[in-house]
Amino acid sequence: MSELNTALEHPVYNYKVVRQFAIMTVVWGIVGMLVGVIIAAQLVWPWLSFDQPWFSFGRLRPLHTNAVIFAFGGCALFASSYYIVQRTTQARIVSDKLAAFTFWGWQLVIVAAAITLPLGFTSSKEYAELEWPIDILIAVVWVVYAIVFFGTIMKRKTSHIYVANWFFGAFILAVAVLHIINSLAIPVGMTKSYSVYAGTVDAMVQWWYGHNAVGFFLTAGFLGMMYYFVPKQAGRPVYSYRLSIVHFWALVAVYIWAGPHHLHYTALPDWAQSLGMVMSIILLAPSWGGMINGMMTLSGAWDKLRTDPILRFLVVSLSFYGMSTFEGPMMAIKTVNALSHYTDWTIGHVHSGALGWVAMISIGSMYHLIPILFGKTAMYSTNLINLHFWMATIGTVLYITSMWVNGILQGLMWRAYNQDGTLTYTFVESVSASYPGYLVRMIGGAIFLGGMLLMAYNVYMTTRKDLVPEAAPAAASAA
Amino acid sequence: MIQHTFGLLVKPSAQWRSIADLPEKSFNTLVLYPCIFAILPAIAWYYGTSQVGWTVGEHGDPIKLTVASARQISILFYFGMLGCIAAIGYFIHWMSATYGANSSFAKGIVIAGLTATPLFITGMVGFHPVLWVDLLIGVVAVSWSIYLLYLGIPIVMGIPEERGFLFSSAVLAIAMVMLICLMVASVLLWDMGAAPAFTD
Repeated sequence: MSELNTALEHPVYNYKVVRQFAIMTVVWGIVGMLVGVIIAAQLVWPWLSFDQPWFSFGRLRPLHTNAVIFAFGGCALFASSYYIVQRTTQARIVSDKLAAFTFWGWQLVIVAAAITLPLGFTSSKEYAELEWPIDILIAVVWVVYAIVFFGTIMKRKTSHIYVANWFFGAFILAVAVLHIINSLAIPVGMTKSYSVYAGTVDAMVQWWYGHNAVGFFLTAGFLGMMYYFVPKQAGRPVYSYRLSIVHFWALVAVYIWAGPHHLHYTALPDWAQSLGMVMSIILLAPSWGGMINGMMTLSGAWDKLRTDPILRFLVVSLSFYGMSTFEGPMMAIKTVNALSHYTDWTIGHVHSGALGWVAMISIGSMYHLIPILFGKTAMYSTNLINLHFWMATIGTVLYITSMWVNGILQGLMWRAYNQDGTLTYTFVESVSASYPGYLVRMIGGAIFLGGMLLMAYNVYMTTRKDLVPEAAPAAASAA
Repeated sequence: MIQHTFGLLVKPSAQWRSIADLPEKSFNTLVLYPCIFAILPAIAWYYGTSQVGWTVGEHGDPIKLTVASARQISILFYFGMLGCIAAIGYFIHWMSATYGANSSFAKGIVIAGLTATPLFITGMVGFHPVLWVDLLIGVVAVSWSIYLLYLGIPIVMGIPEERGFLFSSAVLAIAMVMLICLMVASVLLWDMGAAPAFTD
């Protein structure tokens, strides 16, 4: 291993930590999505839990969300931010030891999550289920991550700080604040704690965290990725640098207010709900600012789009970003939310962001990055990337459409009543009507997972030293 | 007008070419096409929901809407369809310059309207509402329409196929945004007095 690494060592930059995170992105992607497909199958065939508590939907679902968001998404963000910050500041990472600590620390967090969540240790806060000892480890790793990232920016060789680093910086700072404040708890044992907040305040803090996990972890960080890899793969400069700065500040300023839309029609004060709704609608503007900037950057590279599947991943990810950031504000409108909340429409919306935007842009970026990190000119097989692209797109579309149908169906059935005021349907009728949708969703998810397996094979073949890549004129711009 | 319907269903490529050759004036007339064909699904669903009804799960008696409620919703449905066609048509026209094509608002509407032909025709499943059968037929119809879109855009706009592919994909993205608008509009209208009223 050490021999392999010496051969691949870059004279200026630390590629080792980037390589480690890039490989683990693929590994955790497969693990997290596999758990997702399993729980999707459990909704179709409930006996699949085999009556084992640790294998039941309630315990595996947080494992799925944590694995795909923090393990898959997190590793992709670490890999790309460490790579981009070095390339755009022309400086080696500030400390190799600290960078290695973030890698091993983050893997430890993931393994700890994979053990404790199925055992039922949970704080019960969505997307922040991990108990306090792991939360402390996350906080330590994250602070070190901030030191490495901002330390590298401070020793930069260029006076200018490229916009991708702004997004990564905001993501790192905001996630640190969100995680620490939301996870404050009073421990009563190694595996049990109680939140320091009570009642409605606890709910509001939780969703202030929850929505900004979407806004900063799953949006700002991945926009940083977009601002580096889209221009790079298209071989064109960013369409409007001014727009990128304007929508950066708008995004950062507005996202933080949108959390209350998760608590419409609850005990949360009405004014806070309305504020959350208004801010969510305003959020459409900065979101689309980013999408338009990415799209316009790509729009001159039409000739490449036909032959370059990596570029296609990036275009489609931006389209899904545009679609889901339009859908989000619509669903935050209280009248719409009254129907859509607690239905599968929400699940569909989340996955049009998670599969369509986050996963697709990560996959595209990794296909760009991995050959560079392993000293190859291109990925082992461009045809496999192309196949992966179609599997990912079809899987996502099946997932979203089945959840739209189910969501609308459930929302309409729950509120339908007869002339005499009785309910038209019982709840279980809405469940039985949802079965076909659950089946289609599972098939879509399985197709998406299948694409990830192709990616793993392709990555493995690319990293092998004894192989030269097949002729791939399409990826010639991967420089 | 009806020959376009059969043409697009039987020999789509040749039909799009003959549509591309039509003079400007014919396009203005063809704007009527979606206005007429959108009546089919509206009537079908009016009849299906008020007269035939549907069942869910183990439910015994079919569930039906009252005639007044079905009429109101069908009329809104009709205008909803036209609104979407007009909006998508406008966006086709608006984007055409970007993709190096000549177009007009009418041409955009005609492309959007003709592309929706399979949806209008299969919309008649509403006469017999069986949820998952109708949905499967709907999926087939949507796939067919998407095929017509990718086929038709480069031919009618007179642009190279690869640019047409991108144009069509952009139209598809717009269509998905319109779909969300339609979903949201339905929910809002429900709250503003157009909620369905069920019999007994």
